[in-house]
Amino acid sequence: MPARGPAAITLAVGLAVAAAGTAGLLLTRHAVPAQRPAAAGLGALPAPTGPIAAPPQPPGPRPVARPVALTIPVIGVRTPLVSLGLDAAGALQVPPTPSVAGWYDGGPRPGAIGPAVIVGHIDSYQGPGVFFRLSQLRPGDRVYVRRADGTLAVFRVTSVRMYPKDRFPTQAVYGPTPDAELRLITCGGAFDPVTRSYLSNVIVDATQER
Amino acid sequence: MTFPRMARLLPVPLTAFALLLGAQAAGAAAAAPAAPGTGWIRLAHFSPNTPAVDVYLYSFDSPGARLVLHHVAYGTVSPYQPVAAGDYSVAMRAAGAAATSPPVLSTSVAVKAGHAYTVAGMGPESGLRLQVMSDELSTPAGQALVRVIQASLKQQVVTVDFGGKLLAGRLSFATVSPYRAVAPGTEAVTATGSGGDATSTVTLAAGTVHTLVILDGAAGLQIVNLEDAAGSGHMPVGAASTGLGGTAPRAPASPAPWLAVIAAGSLLALGALLAMAGALRPRRQPRPGT
Repeated sequence: MPARGPAAITLAVGLAVAAAGTAGLLLTRHAVPAQRPAAAGLGALPAPTGPIAAPPQPPGPRPVARPVALTIPVIGVRTPLVSLGLDAAGALQVPPTPSVAGWYDGGPRPGAIGPAVIVGHIDSYQGPGVFFRLSQLRPGDRVYVRRADGTLAVFRVTSVRMYPKDRFPTQAVYGPTPDAELRLITCGGAFDPVTRSYLSNVIVDATQER
Repeated sequence: MTFPRMARLLPVPLTAFALLLGAQAAGAAAAAPAAPGTGWIRLAHFSPNTPAVDVYLYSFDSPGARLVLHHVAYGTVSPYQPVAAGDYSVAMRAAGAAATSPPVLSTSVAVKAGHAYTVAGMGPESGLRLQVMSDELSTPAGQALVRVIQASLKQQVVTVDFGGKLLAGRLSFATVSPYRAVAPGTEAVTATGSGGDATSTVTLAAGTVHTLVILDGAAGLQIVNLEDAAGSGHMPVGAASTGLGGTAPRAPASPAPWLAVIAAGSLLALGALLAMAGALRPRRQPRPGT
């Protein structure tokens, strides 16, 4: 029977392909869960050392040096700071790489009177970014900003809150304050896979320690 | 002027005050400044012929807590002290007087969350009073706010301008001008009285709030520039795009490609089966011819 050999081979190939398809279907059926940040305290860093700068004293204003690095020991953040401006639409630029945080240079410098703003990514396309664990900060936690002159401005967290991006508290974040404050911003909340964007921002407020 | 002395003296009573407040309000947030529900008070001495004083700040809500600024001399201004919103009283005693002695002066201040106040000794010693000023914490977009406190006894009436723009005309001793919005810039501030004047170069950045205090200096008028508050001169629009989703949960991938593969394999197998069934069917044999 000359026709039986090729038909048997075709049958085998067909069954194999169908089986492979079934296996593929079963293997990709489950959702990918969110990566969970390790508990705060794990991977904690020692506090940086150096001359601690006093908060601003009247009569002001007195110039302070540019910020160059940020350390948040309790959540293991240690990053250089890049300068950020505004994009063409007038929105805040974000750091070019997810592993580095940036300071908004259109606002006060950390340790000068007013709210200094530092932003960092929660993640990249692949994994955690520099501010992945930002939402784990709690009131009282310390944040250190090294300035270009080697001095450290030490801040203490006063609140950690999440805001939907369409109700971003612009005035509270960027508006005037009578003392030296710090805002740390990253993304949070639900992720919209269509726009590839998180729907909320996590905002940490901190005030310079006296 | 004793600004450096003030700076040295501040931390100890402040820490004690913060600790007391923190213990009372339960939770670390209360001890840390600028938490929700926090306002600010600063204390000042603007009475030219009044000797140095000790200034006490008491909280009505926690009577044990107090902040003491020792030996506050004419022209001295404290940094803003973050305090829980509520009612406070400010008392002045002669420098070195016992804390239990009756104060020379006292006044009450109702601190609202998110608001800032200056409590200043104003006027001549003979008519010394404590004045509570409400301090502005926001500016019109792209502008600076500035006001003037006239604390010169030698020049009873002073006119102050910023780069030629009038800030306060004929301001009397011991009065405060309203805040005025000005275009940001670095300009000469001129204070002119009937018997003397003073000039000082002042930078007023966009998004900042200032108080200019006119004092009797060692020789003539002195202009002190206080930065009441500062923000971003240019506020970014909207939120921050600081995530790309690599750690976000993802929905299961679409099953369509795999279903197509299964369908293709099944069709192939089915076709092969049909072909095999056809091959097995007995073929019709040709009949022999007759």
